[in-house]
Amino acid sequence: MNHRALHTVLAVAVITALILLAGEATTPLLYTATNTSTAAHVDPATVPKLSDNDPDALIPLMEDLLGKTGTLTLNIKLKDYESAERDLARYAELSGRFAELVINLDISRTDIGEFQRNNQENLAALGALLDDARRFEDLQRVEIQIKGDEGQRAAVIYEGEVLQQKLQGGAAAYAGREDVTIRIADRYGVNATPYRESVRNYAEIVGATVSRQAEAGESSPSPLSITVTPDTGRYGDSLSITGTYTGGTAGTLTKAYVDSQIAGNAILDESGTYACSYRVDRIPAGLHLAYTVADVIHSNVATFEIRPDDTTITLTLEEDRVFTVCTGNLTTAGGRPVTLAPILLRVDGDTPITTETDENGTYREVISLPAGEHIIKAEFDAVGYPLSASESPGATVIVPSGGLSPFPFIAAIATALGSGWYLRRRHRPKEVAPAPEPVETVSVEEEAATPPLVDLAGLPPREAATVLFYALRSRLGLPEAKTPRDCAQLAPAHAGFFERYEQIRYAGETPSEEELRAMKEEALGGEEHAA
Amino acid sequence: MQREAWAVFLLLFLAGAVAYAHVTTTAEEYSRYNVGWNGTSGFAAVEIRDLTDLDPTAILLIFAPDQPFSPDEAGSLRAFLDSGGRILIADEEGNANQLLADLGSAMRVRPGNLSSLDRDHAAPGLFTVSVVGNDTLFAGVETIRVNRPAAVEGGEPLLETSPLTWDDADGDGRPGGKEIFRTAIVCAREGNLTVLGDPSLFINAMLPENPAFIENLQPVLVDAAHSRTGTTSPVINTIAWIQETPAVATALIALGVLPVAWRFGRKRDE
Repeated sequence: MNHRALHTVLAVAVITALILLAGEATTPLLYTATNTSTAAHVDPATVPKLSDNDPDALIPLMEDLLGKTGTLTLNIKLKDYESAERDLARYAELSGRFAELVINLDISRTDIGEFQRNNQENLAALGALLDDARRFEDLQRVEIQIKGDEGQRAAVIYEGEVLQQKLQGGAAAYAGREDVTIRIADRYGVNATPYRESVRNYAEIVGATVSRQAEAGESSPSPLSITVTPDTGRYGDSLSITGTYTGGTAGTLTKAYVDSQIAGNAILDESGTYACSYRVDRIPAGLHLAYTVADVIHSNVATFEIRPDDTTITLTLEEDRVFTVCTGNLTTAGGRPVTLAPILLRVDGDTPITTETDENGTYREVISLPAGEHIIKAEFDAVGYPLSASESPGATVIVPSGGLSPFPFIAAIATALGSGWYLRRRHRPKEVAPAPEPVETVSVEEEAATPPLVDLAGLPPREAATVLFYALRSRLGLPEAKTPRDCAQLAPAHAGFFERYEQIRYAGETPSEEELRAMKEEALGGEEHAA
Repeated sequence: MQREAWAVFLLLFLAGAVAYAHVTTTAEEYSRYNVGWNGTSGFAAVEIRDLTDLDPTAILLIFAPDQPFSPDEAGSLRAFLDSGGRILIADEEGNANQLLADLGSAMRVRPGNLSSLDRDHAAPGLFTVSVVGNDTLFAGVETIRVNRPAAVEGGEPLLETSPLTWDDADGDGRPGGKEIFRTAIVCAREGNLTVLGDPSLFINAMLPENPAFIENLQPVLVDAAHSRTGTTSPVINTIAWIQETPAVATALIALGVLPVAWRFGRKRDE
């Protein structure tokens, strides 16, 4: 193989290898495989391990939670409030662990998630039951102490009335979750008997307060009346709270309360009536209580019901250079915008980003995403609203990458240039004795007349022999491809020369000065040509 | 000059070795010529193509079948079962259901996307199931790690998922909506016939996950005629055919050796 062909093969091989590497250089898989999978399986070695996964605790925790409700309500019923406090603290702790587990396992959209939400409401209800039962007991004691003071007694009775209404609402809501909770518990083989008992205990506690309040309130009609119209509503509705104050003076400020939170103010008019509006916004579905206070006079307690409504959330994606703009609307089933509501934008089923709707129920969030294809969903969890949770269909956005990394290509070009330089340097002619000039094929007679010039000065003996071999072969007009043995056969007259050269060339022998002189004479065709 | 020649030859040799490795391996799922994570090159088994006269002491594994069984073949398998032989069908696509019906079994594979919370990896389809039946295949094994299995209906349950398992129909990896938690069976048996809803247990990446189960399987024969352990690569199939056909192998060796011998003989004459 000649020199040039070798270099060409080397260069082509190097360049090909670099091109192949450059094609893969921007593919991360070459360096670190992550989440390698097909439709049939995933590669366990490339899937991250979970550190805080404890699904085995889930079902035992459900059993513990339901068990706590039974003992807690029993202690409240028995008025053992200290034990009930401890039960409630333990119940809250278990509920916290359970909620954390549900979030970690990402199962909030399952029936276990529903169980967890019901449990959170049960926790709040039982906490309120304990507080209200205690407060009711206190009111009973105060009522006895202030016997004779009708003004203070009326205030106590009104507060008792509010408490009793609240307890009744709580009991109805607590019982309303019974069927769903027990159905879920049964699915997972969880013992729901203590929970059933808690529902009964809750009803009995409330029943007892109703009886006592009825006895206390029989002799105390209020001069301040209250009516809520209509007595049912949905998100976005406006309810009217109206009434009259017998004996009240015009211009008296009347405060309206819903669930003990101030909900509006009204001024008594000349005829002693007042009116204010209450807009249904962030308030849970269910039964609620309203009362008004003018001066120190409390009205009776009115009840109204808020009914749940479905919601729809939309999501539109727009690309703005490196950012993705997420916009959408949150509306009720009736088309009302849900205002100032929290919205979660979930990217690729993970990474929730929080935003909020405006006064028109519209939200807009600009997010920055890494290159690649992403699926984004908008979610409304509806916690605290008389609305159902909703989720938009997944919208896909493809964020273009910043282009291929120039590094591999720069490296490839640099390496190719370096290889070229090296090959060029290696290809420079060696500073050795020049090979005889190429001689055109001529007859032996013609060549003999024009012997080549040979300069052996400074050459080692073996190389000098080679130069003389080339010279004789050239002089005889033999092709360059012919070996010494071929030449000996083609020119028997010079066989001695060629055989000796064969030994020098292939057997590694070194010619003497004498031999070289004789070879030179023979190569140049006679004594007269010697240098 | 000589050094460069050696460098070129070394380079060509390495390139040739790489090219040979490339054309004689494949990335096809379950292929025994696939040395990657999803191949079965590391699963020790004897491949057979003729289903008649099988050794009843061995377990016959029909693995991710993608070819139908003829009535004769089904009859051979029935005879094998009747003679005390044991068949393990590993399938998650439901392709084995027709064979199961032909064998008179009530078991069926129900393709799906089972996922579970009972896992220690982030991938919901890679989870742990419990051994619930008494079977030599699972002797000394309490749990098996499965990899995107399918449910198996009918038969005596052998492997059962935890109740916190769902069919991830929307593929989002999260339970919710119409996806409800339920226990599923991923392996069951009827007599000597066992159906496993997860052929992924035999891929290279899964072999270290369930070593006791893989060991319990031995010795095992794999039905290469219907299983997806083969390949569509013409180069590999040609090489395999040559290896399996002594006459062709001999002819090829002769074709390689004779010119060299002739050349050496000629040199000696010179």
